[in-house]
Amino acid sequence: MKKRHGHDARRPGGVRAARSTHRPGALAAVTIAAMIGGTAVAAEGELVMINWLGGAQAEMMAKLQDDFVQKNPDVSFRDIVAQAAGDARGGIRQVILGGEKADLLVNTWPSFREELVDAELLVPLDDIWESEGLDESLSSVWRDLTVVDGRNYGVTYTFGDRSGIWYRPDTFARAGIDGEPQTFDEFKATFEPLREADVTPMAVPAKVWAHAEWFESLLIRTAGVETATRLAAHEIPWTDEAVRTALEKWQELIEAGCCHEPNTMLGLDWDVATDQVLRDGDSGYVLMGMWLNTRAKQEYGEEPGTDFSLMQFPALGMGHDDVSMIDAKELSLLASTRNPEAAAAFMSYMLTADAAAIMADYGLASPSAQADTSVYDPVIEKSVQEVSDARAVQFVLGDLLPGDLGGEYRVQLQKFLQDPSDETIDSVMAALEKVASDAY
Amino acid sequence: MSADGQGGVAIGASSRWAPWVVGAVAFLWVVPIVGILVSSVRPLDEISIGWWSTGKFTLTLDAWRTVWDKYPLAHAFWVSVKISVISTLIPMLFAPMAAYAFHFLQFRFRRVMLILIINAFVLPSQIVVIPLFVLWRKLGLIDNIWAVIIPFAGLSFAWAVYLVKSYLEDFPRELIEAAQVDGCGPIARFFHIVLPNSLTPIAAVGILQFLWTWNGLLLPIVYLREEVPLTALLARIQGVYDRNWDQVAVAAIVTTVVPLVIFIVFQRYFTAGASMRSGSKE
Amino acid sequence: MSAPRQRAPAAGATGASADSPAAALRANGRRGILAGGKVRTPLGDAPAAWLLLAPLLLLFAISVVYPLLETIRLSFYDIRGLGSPKLVGFANYVKLFEDENFRTALVATLKWTLASTAASVAIGWGLAMLCSLAPDRTLVFRVMIFAAYGVSEAVSGFMWLGIYRADAGLLNTVLGGLGLGAWQNPWLGDPTTALWAVIVAYVWTQVGLPLMTTFASIRAIPRNLFEAAYIDGAKPLSMLRHLVMPLSLPGVRVAIFINLLSSLKAFDLIFVLTSGGPVRSTETVGYFMYRESMQNFKLGYGAASTVILLLGVLLVSVPVIVQRTGSAR
Repeated sequence: MKKRHGHDARRPGGVRAARSTHRPGALAAVTIAAMIGGTAVAAEGELVMINWLGGAQAEMMAKLQDDFVQKNPDVSFRDIVAQAAGDARGGIRQVILGGEKADLLVNTWPSFREELVDAELLVPLDDIWESEGLDESLSSVWRDLTVVDGRNYGVTYTFGDRSGIWYRPDTFARAGIDGEPQTFDEFKATFEPLREADVTPMAVPAKVWAHAEWFESLLIRTAGVETATRLAAHEIPWTDEAVRTALEKWQELIEAGCCHEPNTMLGLDWDVATDQVLRDGDSGYVLMGMWLNTRAKQEYGEEPGTDFSLMQFPALGMGHDDVSMIDAKELSLLASTRNPEAAAAFMSYMLTADAAAIMADYGLASPSAQADTSVYDPVIEKSVQEVSDARAVQFVLGDLLPGDLGGEYRVQLQKFLQDPSDETIDSVMAALEKVASDAY
Repeated sequence: MSADGQGGVAIGASSRWAPWVVGAVAFLWVVPIVGILVSSVRPLDEISIGWWSTGKFTLTLDAWRTVWDKYPLAHAFWVSVKISVISTLIPMLFAPMAAYAFHFLQFRFRRVMLILIINAFVLPSQIVVIPLFVLWRKLGLIDNIWAVIIPFAGLSFAWAVYLVKSYLEDFPRELIEAAQVDGCGPIARFFHIVLPNSLTPIAAVGILQFLWTWNGLLLPIVYLREEVPLTALLARIQGVYDRNWDQVAVAAIVTTVVPLVIFIVFQRYFTAGASMRSGSKE
Repeated sequence: MSAPRQRAPAAGATGASADSPAAALRANGRRGILAGGKVRTPLGDAPAAWLLLAPLLLLFAISVVYPLLETIRLSFYDIRGLGSPKLVGFANYVKLFEDENFRTALVATLKWTLASTAASVAIGWGLAMLCSLAPDRTLVFRVMIFAAYGVSEAVSGFMWLGIYRADAGLLNTVLGGLGLGAWQNPWLGDPTTALWAVIVAYVWTQVGLPLMTTFASIRAIPRNLFEAAYIDGAKPLSMLRHLVMPLSLPGVRVAIFINLLSSLKAFDLIFVLTSGGPVRSTETVGYFMYRESMQNFKLGYGAASTVILLLGVLLVSVPVIVQRTGSAR
């Protein structure tokens, strides 16, 4: 099972550029990395993390930090809180531009990783992979996923399936649907029985960002992960046939009666959509990330597997039915680090069974081989299975795009939902191509 | 004449219907606030249907207990007090001085400076973040409350000077001129004549500045680490994917109470200033 | 002397009254009665003025002037995220004028600013006048309304999200209950209603300010004016119209100033309610600025939009300020 990371294709000139150290300013970073090479030392001193997590995720990170400190009593943890409305990247950039020095950064945006590497703010981790023996815990898939320009910059400690559609078994039962629809046609066929049971088939929260993932899932099912990667790198234009095909598939869904009225979709928040599907049973399907597992367990008080479940995005029969979209969080080492040994030890800790157990409590999966998957509830298990079985994985397209293109992209998809006609598809593609040509 | 305290139109004519109209508006107005109060004492699954939902109604102090346990509220409260009090006293004292200078004194650049200061109010506070961040780091002021107080005070002049100046425009010049005849210099005239009779605008500046600095989030979050004020601390309650309305509501109540108290206290100083004491000189 | 010492302002904005001899003398020169120069500080007012202004100028210079200069400087660069800045001269400004989104934002801002300022000042002023008829009994109501101003915009946003929710929001539920089901709408999802829905929520938060400042102005009206009017037999409503309204103008001016300029900067409420959508229909210039600077982190572009906003405001305010601070002072 060979998995393509895909992201490296952003670099013009091909899939994996050869290792190169010809960037002059990168010398400092390389030196730090070289210093860490060798056997792992006992961690001590202060460890500083730029922490932008909030709510339940912050809680989980705090527990992980505490557990690490318990095991390494000579280390003390300090968080630099970064916050901004919406995307935490703004807050992180402010902190960095203000000159703050830290060791660790939690990153979940591949495009941000690139931005940091370009600005020479990250230290390559290949030596840490050696010294801490991370290869024993993380397969090469995960290692390749966080490579930029042939060098690794992130240790992935959690991932989630973003090609998973959530539903309630009892909603299916009410509509007389027997089992999960496997193919696109089966999926469309469930719409009528759902409507007859007074259920809107798809809850598409088009207010801000969550609607884009339907498009992206259709894109990788119709044209594959490689196409998505090349689109994100603007190696193919947004006027490409692949984009049109994906949008036409969505047109099919709308014509089959999948969704609410356009204005309702445009006003729908992702959490209201998940309430409708998993709590109230007013809608049938919602495409959402794994944090919904945490929400359903904690806020709705429901049992994964019995009260609600997860199915993989239906197959379209166009040769790309074994690929998956994912999201992931990784730890990166900042160039301003003053305690790289402790940072390396923490990265190593995050891949241990104890860390994985804490994450499982919050409904999140660890990619580490050390993780004890028996503690996973049925939903996490299923999502992990789908990702492991996938021939290729790629990050959510929206997280691969540079800032303003991402915003325009979501707005254009809103316009599509307002009027999913062929003319709109043409104008959407043209508008996106226009912004994209300026953004790269 | 009715013993109505100071001023007010209600001399001799107590209006019966006015309070009812205002009351009706106020009760309609307060509905979302009631929502916040209710959200803080009902469990999350009931609120997410809507805080007004009547199906299942449970009262619980869980959210309050969670917030109290998880967050060091007392220390943050004290930090907020320090920041807000100092940031409020500064414009309360210096803005009237500036407004007096702009309004009653003549000097070069008067109008240019006034234009610059007043128009600065349109600038959003985010332009301040990064430039001052770099400056404070060089001066070692990160995690020092003065890193926040200085911009709070500086930014306040944009509107505080205009506010005091506006109220000064009706100030009786005869008083000042009389003092001038008596040989009072311009600064003495300010401190003895204008300032004591300008309680109203000073109180208004106090109410607004306290409110804005107490609620201010952007600068404290970026500049402060251990010395974290209440609002910045409680902002972390809201995660990216969490909708824990109940705790957010608790945070909102805890933070909003204090500026409202200041409002109630300071608005008592809305009085007729100069002219009430004007009779004495004659 | 028993005549009221407060001069009643004429209709003109400068407040120069027309009826007393002192005023006539004043009109002739800046020093009032002593225009002839009987007692004059030898160096003029300048030293005193600078002394009084010193603390403000220092704080202002650090907190406003320096960041403003930085902003202007940044506006000439192209900065994407953490990448290295590239000097591009006026390119950002040119792009702004060509940017359709910026133009739409300007139009939306016009509606947003004028509607919200007019509504909140009108409502606040009206309520203040009513409150002045019974100040002590209406204190609790004023607190209730000011509480809407005191709550942070983000939290207000969450509450109004619950009100505007399409399926089970308070507004639609109430409409359904009143038999007005046909009026139900996804308020925040419909591009034709979204902006007005957000404006209503914003006005809800803002009325507390004009209420406070105009009420303060009214309370500052000297008592003897009311006494005189009462003796003359004026009824409360008539006193409101002829006495209170004109004399509360300082508070009204302050309210307009603060509300107008605040609305140009407003971001948090719009972000929570609609994130500038649907299809950018609620994107104002304030939202645009924040989004470009803090989210897209195109610091140069965001800085340029801030400069343009400042220039726009200067364009309107300079004539007004010059006129108001005219030579009569």
